[in-house]
Amino acid sequence: MHDVRFSGEDILARQLELADANYRRLREKRIRSVSVLGAIGSGKTTLVEQAIDRLHGRGLRVGTIAADSAGDDDHRRFVARGASSVNVNTQDDCHLDAHTVSHALDRLPLDEIDVLFIENVGNLICPADFPLGADVEIVVISVTEGDDMVRKHPKIFAQTDVVAVNKVDLASAVGVSPERIAADYSSVNPHGKLVLTSLRSGEGIDALLDLVGLGCTSTQW
Amino acid sequence: MHEYAVVSELIGAVLPRLAEHRGRVRTVVLRKGELRILSDHALASAFEILAQGTRLEGANLAVETVAAVVSCPACGYHGSTGRFGDDGHYSIPILTCPRCGGSVDVAAGRELYVDRVTLSDDPATAG
Repeated sequence: MHDVRFSGEDILARQLELADANYRRLREKRIRSVSVLGAIGSGKTTLVEQAIDRLHGRGLRVGTIAADSAGDDDHRRFVARGASSVNVNTQDDCHLDAHTVSHALDRLPLDEIDVLFIENVGNLICPADFPLGADVEIVVISVTEGDDMVRKHPKIFAQTDVVAVNKVDLASAVGVSPERIAADYSSVNPHGKLVLTSLRSGEGIDALLDLVGLGCTSTQW
Repeated sequence: MHEYAVVSELIGAVLPRLAEHRGRVRTVVLRKGELRILSDHALASAFEILAQGTRLEGANLAVETVAAVVSCPACGYHGSTGRFGDDGHYSIPILTCPRCGGSVDVAAGRELYVDRVTLSDDPATAG
């Protein structure tokens, strides 16, 4: 028996390089970018819709990359709101990757965009190991997923710095305590920021935009 | 499920390096930081399937876990962290300074790399 030693280069180094290239490309164009992750039905698309309305109201131009396994439903919702949007079908892939995003960027009018939202495929777990190159990341969960959501997926929330707990208007109907979700999150991630939202009515969207550097008074990009 | 994408990259990285080495591939040792969200079981299944028809077919994928280490810019602490869910079954590191409560940088725990490949010296199976 004998061993062949390897250099220790990260297996996903290629992904990290591509993500870094996306990051630098967006920076050069002075585009603030936000990656949105979360399970199916958590409210990612509604979050982006509300953000588009808010940012348009302040004269900012919004671009979107809408990823789903199939179809263009989310993409059409963003276009209807006036965003410059690209639809991406990942088919059987359970997550976006930086390479796919780089091709989506090729198809966007980057000179006419101030803020870019990248909505990942509905999936809480798989996208976590595949950085896309966005400035910030928001994980959306909804109270309908249960108030043990954070306890069941602690490793994700320990590394997620901005969380939206959505559909809080339904909390009592489904017997869920948003406060318990918030307390669990604080235990696994003492430095993370969490906002309770009801995105269909726009509740919490301003606080969320503030947290990702897109608030009314944000000037950092 | 995303373990397949990871293993596909792994195999692509390993095979060219082995071209200059003879012998049957016995074990591929993967070092995985404990903050990575990858199932060892799914990695092994993906490896078994994706290695078929390559020189890695029949080899074993061994996963060695690397514990999280944090560095605190505020107080200079460097070391392990407190843990969440520490009941002997499944626990994860809490990314905060256990000494001063400040924000920390992750010094270890996010690795994902092939450390070594073990080959048998059987000339009959020279590759």
